[in-house]
Amino acid sequence: MERKRLLQFPGAIEGLRFEDAHRHQEILLALNDVFFHWGYLPVETPVFDFFDIYRPLLHGRDLEKIYRLIDREGDLLMLRSDITLFLAKQLGLSLRKDNLPVRACYADVILRHQNQEDISSNEFFQVGAELIGKPGKDGDLEILFLTLKILETLEVSARIHIGSRAFYNAACQGLSPEEVKTLSGAVCSRERGDILNLLKKTQSPAVCRLTADLLLFLGTTAEYRDLFKACKARIPSEDMKRELQYLLDLGNILEEAGMASHIRIDLSEIGSQPYYTGLVFQGYMEHLDSAFLGGGRYDGLLSTFGLSAPSVGFSFFPRKIEPWIGRPERFFPSDGVEKARGTTFLEKIRHAEELRRNGKRVIL
Amino acid sequence: MSTLSSAPITLAIPKGRLQEKITRLLNQQGIRIDLEDRKLTALDAEEKLKIILVKNSDLPTYVNFGIAGLGICGDDVIYESAYPFYRLHTFSFGGTRMCLAGKKNTSPESDTRHMTIATKYPRFATQYYHSLGISVRIIKLGGSVELAPVLGLAPFIVDLVETGETLRANNLEIIEILEKIDVHLIANPAYYKLHYERINAIVDLLKRG
Repeated sequence: MERKRLLQFPGAIEGLRFEDAHRHQEILLALNDVFFHWGYLPVETPVFDFFDIYRPLLHGRDLEKIYRLIDREGDLLMLRSDITLFLAKQLGLSLRKDNLPVRACYADVILRHQNQEDISSNEFFQVGAELIGKPGKDGDLEILFLTLKILETLEVSARIHIGSRAFYNAACQGLSPEEVKTLSGAVCSRERGDILNLLKKTQSPAVCRLTADLLLFLGTTAEYRDLFKACKARIPSEDMKRELQYLLDLGNILEEAGMASHIRIDLSEIGSQPYYTGLVFQGYMEHLDSAFLGGGRYDGLLSTFGLSAPSVGFSFFPRKIEPWIGRPERFFPSDGVEKARGTTFLEKIRHAEELRRNGKRVIL
Repeated sequence: MSTLSSAPITLAIPKGRLQEKITRLLNQQGIRIDLEDRKLTALDAEEKLKIILVKNSDLPTYVNFGIAGLGICGDDVIYESAYPFYRLHTFSFGGTRMCLAGKKNTSPESDTRHMTIATKYPRFATQYYHSLGISVRIIKLGGSVELAPVLGLAPFIVDLVETGETLRANNLEIIEILEKIDVHLIANPAYYKLHYERINAIVDLLKRG
């Protein structure tokens, strides 16, 4: 084989060797330890599945990144690009209502297209957790607190931005599905002018301005509390008011737990996928050009696969943040490898076993 | 979890026609930038803002990958990059027009179903004409686009036109103004989310200018 050919790699693959692979595995062990002590058990999903099953759930850039292939029977398959969806099918088919609530976690390779010049996505591996069958505040808070625990374990300087798809949906009342999609783009890109243009179709100018201010709100829980108090009487619908109050309740509990500095209320977070139904959040940290973590509530997702049960979860890309994990030396292989002594192979084996029993790394 | 750093906010500005206007505006608002000869980075006097001087067409790449959190550039390069940015402020200077041009008295109406266009902006040109239901063949050029109709490479060009002098000098004319191009302060969305308080203060300063 020509060396020039060997030097080429398809997009979105990576191999890990020696110290890097060891560090990656140690990080996963630390994360798995957290999941285990929170009562979450691992689920392993297939590497590929039929594309048509997931097609209605895939949109925008996520759809563009999927690798597809045709099997021997001519069926179109997709490689696992997001564990959440594959997990939903697996659990939707296998769980029964009387099994609930169920706590699942996962850590596995995903395969997504990545442009050659994309130096930073690093979406090669996905770690996450799902809490199935626990509706409302308790479920949402458990996942938020678990997310914060994971970040604390990794000692990364990160912040979680919390928003609400339910509030966004309430604010969209009266708009056509196409307008809802367009508004979602305007909110995600924080284009106030475009938001006002769309909202004015169903709302008076004053209500439009208030809704736009709310959709663009980004601040601390204390600032959000002040805003909500100031504008509560002018919020045009009970649905919008209820969802804003719900978010404030979550913020208050996180604040009371001493998490205020790690949290921002950010109503421009509306979830990248339309299957979100309530809480949505994303994680940001210094040195990264995009969110490394995302999650939220998707109460209708499992019913696509036969189980009507509420669900909330999060996932993140550990390879994206590994360079910024605090005290990285705790995940490095211990220093020094000793060499077993002896004149025969058996003597060396015995000496090595003795040293290994004392925790040493020994080569023959 | 540790807290966020207070490192200076990073702002990429384009070399060339906008550079002087931007540094003057920043100076007027009390942000003193002194870019020494041939140096491509500088801190303001209070070390709150780090300026990175980059080629205009490369600016979106630096902001997209978070090397610079903020940038100042026109709709043309933003659109061509296809990266998602927040547009935080539109400047009153530097505006121009994206135009279809060709030899005098050449009208695209003779064949509106298919056009051959030479341009530095293939994404813009393709999407603009596709949205009108017109098929286009694009010839990507890096500069001196006006030569294309003159030498017969393509009957039309899509390019930025400020005064139109270069077009006139080459016996070309504007056939249609396709879009108004403004200059914006853009932000990498994730960078904005982490530093929105300090960035909003900079935006407020610039709005006063």
